[in-house]
Amino acid sequence: MRRISLKFIAAGFLFCAPHTLLIAQERYTLSGIVKNAETGEALIGANIVVKDLKGVGTSSNAYGFYSITLAQGEYTVLIQFLGFRVKQDTILLQHDRTLNFELTPEPIRLNEVVVTGERSDKNVTSTEMSSNRLEVREVQSIPVLLGERDIMKTIQLFPGVKSAGEGSTGFYARGGGVDQNLIVLDEAPVYNSSHLLGFLSVFNSDAIKDVKVMTGGIPAEYGGRLSSVLDIRTNDGNMKNYGGTGGIGLLASRLSFEGPLVKDQGSFIISARRTYADLFLKFSKDTTINRASLYFYDLNAKTNYTLGEKDRIFVSGYFGRDNFNYPNTFGFSWGNATATARWNHIFGDHLFSNTSFIFSNYEYSNTVGAGTSEFQITSGIQDVNFKTDFQYFASSQSTVKFGFNSIYHTFMPGNVTAGSTSFTNSLALERRFALENAAYASHELEPLSGLKVNYGLRFSIFTLLGPGHTYNYDASGTALDTMSYAAGAKIQTYSNLEPRISANMNLDETSSIKASYMRTAQYLHLLSNSTTTNPSDLWVPSSNNVKPQTADQYAVGYFRNFNNNELEASLEIYYKAMHNLIDYKNGADLQINPAVESLLLYGKGWSYGAEFLIRKHYGPISGWLGYTLSRTEEQFAPINNGAPFPARQDRTHDISVVAIYDYSTIWTFSATWVYNTGNAVTFPSGNYLIDGRLVPYYTERNGYRMPAYHRLDVSATWTLGPRSNLNFSIYNVYDRMNPYAISFRQDPNDPSKTQAVQTTFFPFIPSVTYNFKF
Amino acid sequence: MTMKTLFLKSALYASILVAGFVLLACEKVVSIDLNNASPHLVIDGTVTDQQGPYSVTLSLSGDYFEPSLYFPPVSNALVVVTDNQGQRDTLKETTSGTYLSTKLQGIAGRTYTLSVISDGKEYDGSSSMPQKVLIDSLYAIQRTGFGGESGYDIYVMFRDPTELGNYYRINARSSTLIPADSIDGRRYRLFTDKLTNGNEMAERIRAGRNVNPGDTITVELLSIDKSAYEYYSTLRDILSSDRSATSLSPANPITNLSNGPLGYFAAFTIDTKSIVLK
Repeated sequence: MRRISLKFIAAGFLFCAPHTLLIAQERYTLSGIVKNAETGEALIGANIVVKDLKGVGTSSNAYGFYSITLAQGEYTVLIQFLGFRVKQDTILLQHDRTLNFELTPEPIRLNEVVVTGERSDKNVTSTEMSSNRLEVREVQSIPVLLGERDIMKTIQLFPGVKSAGEGSTGFYARGGGVDQNLIVLDEAPVYNSSHLLGFLSVFNSDAIKDVKVMTGGIPAEYGGRLSSVLDIRTNDGNMKNYGGTGGIGLLASRLSFEGPLVKDQGSFIISARRTYADLFLKFSKDTTINRASLYFYDLNAKTNYTLGEKDRIFVSGYFGRDNFNYPNTFGFSWGNATATARWNHIFGDHLFSNTSFIFSNYEYSNTVGAGTSEFQITSGIQDVNFKTDFQYFASSQSTVKFGFNSIYHTFMPGNVTAGSTSFTNSLALERRFALENAAYASHELEPLSGLKVNYGLRFSIFTLLGPGHTYNYDASGTALDTMSYAAGAKIQTYSNLEPRISANMNLDETSSIKASYMRTAQYLHLLSNSTTTNPSDLWVPSSNNVKPQTADQYAVGYFRNFNNNELEASLEIYYKAMHNLIDYKNGADLQINPAVESLLLYGKGWSYGAEFLIRKHYGPISGWLGYTLSRTEEQFAPINNGAPFPARQDRTHDISVVAIYDYSTIWTFSATWVYNTGNAVTFPSGNYLIDGRLVPYYTERNGYRMPAYHRLDVSATWTLGPRSNLNFSIYNVYDRMNPYAISFRQDPNDPSKTQAVQTTFFPFIPSVTYNFKF
Repeated sequence: MTMKTLFLKSALYASILVAGFVLLACEKVVSIDLNNASPHLVIDGTVTDQQGPYSVTLSLSGDYFEPSLYFPPVSNALVVVTDNQGQRDTLKETTSGTYLSTKLQGIAGRTYTLSVISDGKEYDGSSSMPQKVLIDSLYAIQRTGFGGESGYDIYVMFRDPTELGNYYRINARSSTLIPADSIDGRRYRLFTDKLTNGNEMAERIRAGRNVNPGDTITVELLSIDKSAYEYYSTLRDILSSDRSATSLSPANPITNLSNGPLGYFAAFTIDTKSIVLK
C-alpha cells in the first residue's frame, strides 16, 4: 500500500510534468521578492500582474518570492498588495531577471478620488475558495474584549468559522470540532491557543504579519487536521530602521522592538506581552493572597538573515505561559513553546525551496491541595518536525508544489507527583510515541484560458511506536488482553491518500464559478468532555483502538466582484462527511486514566451549508458581511438510541457584520455585530426522585437550543499623533445577556420546584488601550 | 473531588482574581420550555450491613417543572432480593410503592441481586457489598479560608485496603441542620483509591458557614462497589449545576439495572463516627 502510493505520487508527477517543464527557448523568467518599502518585510500574497497579457500573473509566496516566465519582450507589470500603493513597472525581458519590488504603504484611505491603481481581481481569478485572509489593519481596528486585539476572535467573524463560545478561543470550521483545526505559527503547530482559560488567544497581534484561514479546498501542502488551517506568519523585523511598538491596556501591556542586524540583509523582532492584574495582589494584607500568582505572558522572537541572492535563513520562537497559583489550595500552569528554523533556497529562477526544523511543546500542570493532600498532575505533547517544501514556477500558467513532512510526536498523558507528606501515590502513565509522515505534490495550471485547476495528492502515514503496552477492550470497556512492545516497534500503522482539487472557471471579467473537493485525515485527537476548552484537555494518538478521523468535503461557489473590484462577493455551498469521530461514554473520567481508550465511542458526522460573504477592502468604509446557513449532525450507535442528533456546533443561522469607517485622519470608528442560533444542548424532559432528591430525566441528546446569541461591539481610535493612538472599545453595547450556560437546580425557596438558571459572562464592558510607536 | 470540579472551581477563583469584570458574570432565573417525557419507572433500592429492614421504592418520573414532590408510586410489584449464599427475601409493600425486607441481613463480601417484576416486565440488578472500611478517627480544625470565609476542616482518617479498587462515599451531617442541608455545599463526596491505593487517608470535608462550635458532626463512610460508584458519580454530574451546565452531554446516570429503568440497586457497608466542634 505504502510503496504503491509513493509510486503513484511520482507517476502523477511525471504525467503532469512534461508539458509544464518544457520551456521554449525564447522564454525568460522574472523573479524576486516583493517587500514593504518602509520596513523591508516580505509581503505575502502580493499580486504580480502582466498588464499586456490578459489573465497572466502570479503572486508572492509565504516568503515574498515570485517567479513568472514569459516570452521575450517588453511588459508593463503591476504589483498589487492590499493597503499599499500599486506599483507599475515596465520591464524589458531579454534574459532571466531578478527584480525585487518594494511597495509603499498607503497612508490613509480617505476620499478616494484618485484610484491609486488597479485593484486585484484575485477573488474571481484564483482557484482559492473557502479561505480568507485577515488584514493587519482590520485586526487593529475591530473592537475586542478588554481592548486586547485577537486574531482568533477576528477570524471567527468570517462565514464558515464559528466561535466555540465566549470563554473559548476555539472555533468550529464548517461543522468540525475545535480539535480539527490546524493552527500553525511559523509552521509550528500550536496545541493550545488559549490564555486565561480561553478568554484570549496566545497570539500577540503585534508580532503577526499574515493570517489566513482555510475551511475548504485546502491545498495538499497542509495536512493532519480535518476541518481547517489557520496559518499565522510572524513579522520578520524591520530591515531598515530600529523601532518599536507597544500598547497599554486594562488587562495586559505589549512591547515590540525590531530592527536591522545588517541593513537590508538581516533583521530581528522581539515582542512581549504580559498581564498585570496580579501585581495588585501584592498589596493585599492577606498573606495567602499576596503570595498568589496570576498572570500570562507571551514572548515572540524572530531573526532572519539573507545570505546572498539565493539563500535566506529564519529562526523564530514563541514562548508563552499561564500561571495561576493560590497558595495551599490550587495552582495551574500551562504553556506552549515553539521554535522554527527555516532555510529558503532558490534553485535557478524557477524553483523555490524552504526547509524547516520545527519544535513544538505544550504542557499543563495542576497542583492541588497542601500537606497531606498535595499532588501535582502534569500532561503534555511534544513534536519534533522536519519539513521541506518546493515550489516550481514552470510557466506563468503552471506551478508545481511538492514536499515532505515528518513529525515525531511524544504524548505525555499524565503524571501524578505526590507532595512529600501527601497520602497520594505518585503515578506516571506510559508515554506514547508516534511518527507522522506525509508527502504531497500539487499542480496548478491553466489548461484553457479562463479555467484554472489546482490538483494535488497528499499521502500521509502514521505509526504508533513502542515502547509501550496496548489493550484490547470488550464492549463494556473491560481489558481483554495486553500487548507489550519494545522501543521503536511498530504498534499500529495507518495511511491515507488525500486527494485535493479545486478549479476556477471565469464566466466573465468579474465573475467565476469555483469547485473543490478535499479529503483530509487526522491522526491526533483532543479528548474533552466539557463544553469549555480546558488546558487539561488531552491530545492522544490514533492507536489499535482509536482510528484516524477522515473527512470528505465538496464545495462549489459563485464569485463576483463589483464596481471595479471594490466589492468582492461570494456564495459557497458545501457538504462535508466526517468519519471516526469521537464521543465519550457516560461518566467518562478522562484524566489520569490508563484505560482512557475504553471510554471512547466512535461515530460519524456530516455538515452542509451555504455561506455568503460580501467584503469591501477599499475606501473610507470597509468591512464585510457574512451569513451562513448550515446544519451539522452526528451519529453514534450508543448515543440517542443510534439516531442522528444535532452536533453541539450545529448553528442554523450565523451572521457577522464588520464595518470600519475612516472618518478623518484623527478618528477611525468600527463596529461588529454578530448573531447566531443557540448551540444544541441537552436539557431534561422530566424529573424523578432518588434518595429524596429531584433528579433530571434526559430523553434525547442535544434536543434543545440555547437562546440565540447576538452582540454589538464598537470602537473608536483617536490618533494622537503619528506615533500614538488611543482606542476606546465597548463590548456588548446593548448589554445583551447572552447565556454562557443554562443549568437547572432545586428552587432554594421551594425545594419542590425546579428552576432554570442562566449564567452570563460578559455584559456591557468598556475598555481603553493606548498604543504607541517609537 | 474530580479534576473537573476542581478545575471549574479554580477557574472561577482565577477569573475573580484576574479582573473584577468576571464578578459581573451574573446568574438569573429564566424560563425554558421543556418537553414532557412519558412517565418512566424509577427503582431506588439499597442493602447495607446495618440492621434491616432495607427498602426498595418504585415510582414514576414526572414533568420537569411540575411543582410537586409527588411522583406516582408503583404498587403490586414482585420485589425479591437474593444473595449469593442462598438467602432470599420477598419484600413486602408497606406503603404504596415502598417495599421492605422481612428477614434479610446484609453481610459484607456477599453479592446481592434485586429482581423486580412490575407490569409484566422484569428488572434485575446486582451489587457486591465490599468489605467494611472503618473510620479510625475524626478531627476538626478551624480555618480562615479563601476571602476570609471561616469554617472547619474536618478530616476523616481511615486506611485504604491494599488491593486497588476501593470506592467510597462520605455523608456528613450536622446536628443543627436538617439532613438535606449539607455542611460543605456538596451533597456527598465520592472518591476512589485510584491515586491513593493502600494509603493512610485523611479525607477533608470543608465545612462552611453553617456549622458552629458545639455542633455535632456525624460522618458516614460508605464502602461501595464499582457499579454504585459509577451510578453516584454520574448522578452527581447531573445534580451539580456547574457540572451539568458545562458537560457536553448530560445523560441519565449509569444504572446497574436491566431493561432500562431509572435508578439503581446498591449494596454497601456503613461506618459512622461523630465529633463535637470546639
